[in-house]
Amino acid sequence: MTQFFAIGWQNILDIVLNTYILFRLYVLFRGTNVLRVLLAMGVLLVFRQVAFSMGLIITSWVMQGVIAVAALVIIVVFRNEISSVLKTRDLKSFLWGIPRQQLKTPVGIIVESVYELARKKVGALMVLPLSKGMESIVQEGVSWQGKLSKEMLISIFWPDNPVHDGAAVIQGDRITDVGVILPLSKRTDLPSRFGTRHRAAIGLAEQTDALIIVVSEERGTITLVRNRQIYDINDSSVLEKLLIQHAGGNITTGDIKKRTRDLAIAAAVCLVCVTGLWFSVSKGVETIATYDVPIEFVKSDQNMEVLSSSASSVRLLVSGSRPLIRALSPNRINVKLNIANTIPGKNSLSVGQSAVSLPPGISVKSIEPSMVDVLVDVPLKKEVPVQVFWVGRLSPELIMTRVKVSPEKIVVVGPSQVLEDIDTLFTKPVSLDGISESGKITAGIAFTPSSIRPEDQKKSEIQLEYTVQKREKYRLLKQ
Amino acid sequence: MKVFFGISRIFWVCLMITTAGIPRAWAQDPVPEMESVPDPPVLVQAQMCEAIEKFMPVNSAVVFSISLGRVYCFTAFDPVYEESVVYHRWYRQDRLVSNARLVLNPPKWASFSSMQLRPADKGPWRVEIVDSRESLIKTLRFSISD
Repeated sequence: MTQFFAIGWQNILDIVLNTYILFRLYVLFRGTNVLRVLLAMGVLLVFRQVAFSMGLIITSWVMQGVIAVAALVIIVVFRNEISSVLKTRDLKSFLWGIPRQQLKTPVGIIVESVYELARKKVGALMVLPLSKGMESIVQEGVSWQGKLSKEMLISIFWPDNPVHDGAAVIQGDRITDVGVILPLSKRTDLPSRFGTRHRAAIGLAEQTDALIIVVSEERGTITLVRNRQIYDINDSSVLEKLLIQHAGGNITTGDIKKRTRDLAIAAAVCLVCVTGLWFSVSKGVETIATYDVPIEFVKSDQNMEVLSSSASSVRLLVSGSRPLIRALSPNRINVKLNIANTIPGKNSLSVGQSAVSLPPGISVKSIEPSMVDVLVDVPLKKEVPVQVFWVGRLSPELIMTRVKVSPEKIVVVGPSQVLEDIDTLFTKPVSLDGISESGKITAGIAFTPSSIRPEDQKKSEIQLEYTVQKREKYRLLKQ
Repeated sequence: MKVFFGISRIFWVCLMITTAGIPRAWAQDPVPEMESVPDPPVLVQAQMCEAIEKFMPVNSAVVFSISLGRVYCFTAFDPVYEESVVYHRWYRQDRLVSNARLVLNPPKWASFSSMQLRPADKGPWRVEIVDSRESLIKTLRFSISD
């Protein structure tokens, strides 16, 4: 239980960030069909996981295929809705704001226009969308993008105008589209006085949160449709009030509370979903894996050097959820032993859990070996004479009387304990075979053991000058 | 009054004796005498050679064939101020193999040490000539080859 709640700050940040991303997606796409399809995909994903865990392999494959197709469908079918969500908002509202529409709608102009049209018995259909996109519901009409004015509205619905039969879409203070064809409602309980305009208005209201104003051509009556509710408008103040309410003005405290509550619930649902997902990933079915990880020695004193170690790597038995273990690559595991508190010589270091660095959600079950013997020393400098390592056989008739080595001494750097035992550096083997007269040779120096090196890397070889002469007392050399 | 002068005279006598004794006491402090350290023998000749004949090195060299069977280190000192000791320390690749103690007698002295060679002795060697105070006088480097 303790381990269950042992969540590091990284994990909390992980959950919070992803919750916010999910919440923002909800805020941006709420009311659109994209969100519904995304929710459906989420449900399918859960089904797929359940099917997979139950061993229903084919089902899980099919689910996976459906999800992949659904993702493609979202992009292709709802591209207009996605682009409208992404295009119409600046970065601040994209990352932070809670979008509301119709805030700048000049309600007075609309009311005046509607009453003017009604008085003249000019049929009209006006759509004021709110948050839900309707690009995939309506058939696009003619793009208008004109500033809203009374004259403009009346002229659009004037009987001789080619686009007067369709709906005019009003967003803010602009008429964005005209001649838009709305989906017709299939309700059978509608009054007989309702014509095609009314049926179209109700059809759109059934699928979106838009407000639709209908002006009857026959009777000159005004009808307002919103959220499946139909209002017969007899008073301009009522129309104005409903429009202002729709536009976001005159919001009551109750409305604010309701909106805040909805967002809070959405945020809570996002948090629950992400937390559940995190736990399902990080605390799911526990899997155990073994890794051989090389030991890294960390030194605070740059002079300290590890000469030898009883183990160059340790075998770690780690556990975690299956997805985390699967995603774990060996280079994300580090075993670091600190040699700061060691003394020159042999030291036994404990390889504890604190020495092991693992990604979050993965824990160490065992470490083998748990103790490592390391030989630590401080490098020193020492000037050491160089001697030639002759091999082979010098001609019996010759005698080598002198060898001059240049330089005679080399400064080497190495651990003090190693340098203590080194009094001479020897060259790599130099052959005596074939020497018939005095000469010069360049010979490399054998720096053994490997823990020593020349202070000046260029001085890794020497020049040797040798002198040979004919043997006078050949008889002394036993063949 | 006589008694006073008598006491006074005794006081002065004592004071003079005491005062006169101070330099003597200082003079009695032991003065460390300089220990006479004999000069070390002076090395005039040091050679690795194939043989010694008539107390002289034969075929001085730096490379010796293992087939020789034995190799010699010859040293000559002049002057030798008093009877003293030097050491011939034989190393095969930094490992001490032999430490030969040689006694030198005045006024001059030559002495040598030798090493029996075995097949495993091939490689670089050195002989360190060290005096009785462990001071390194000279190092002779040579090789044993096929």
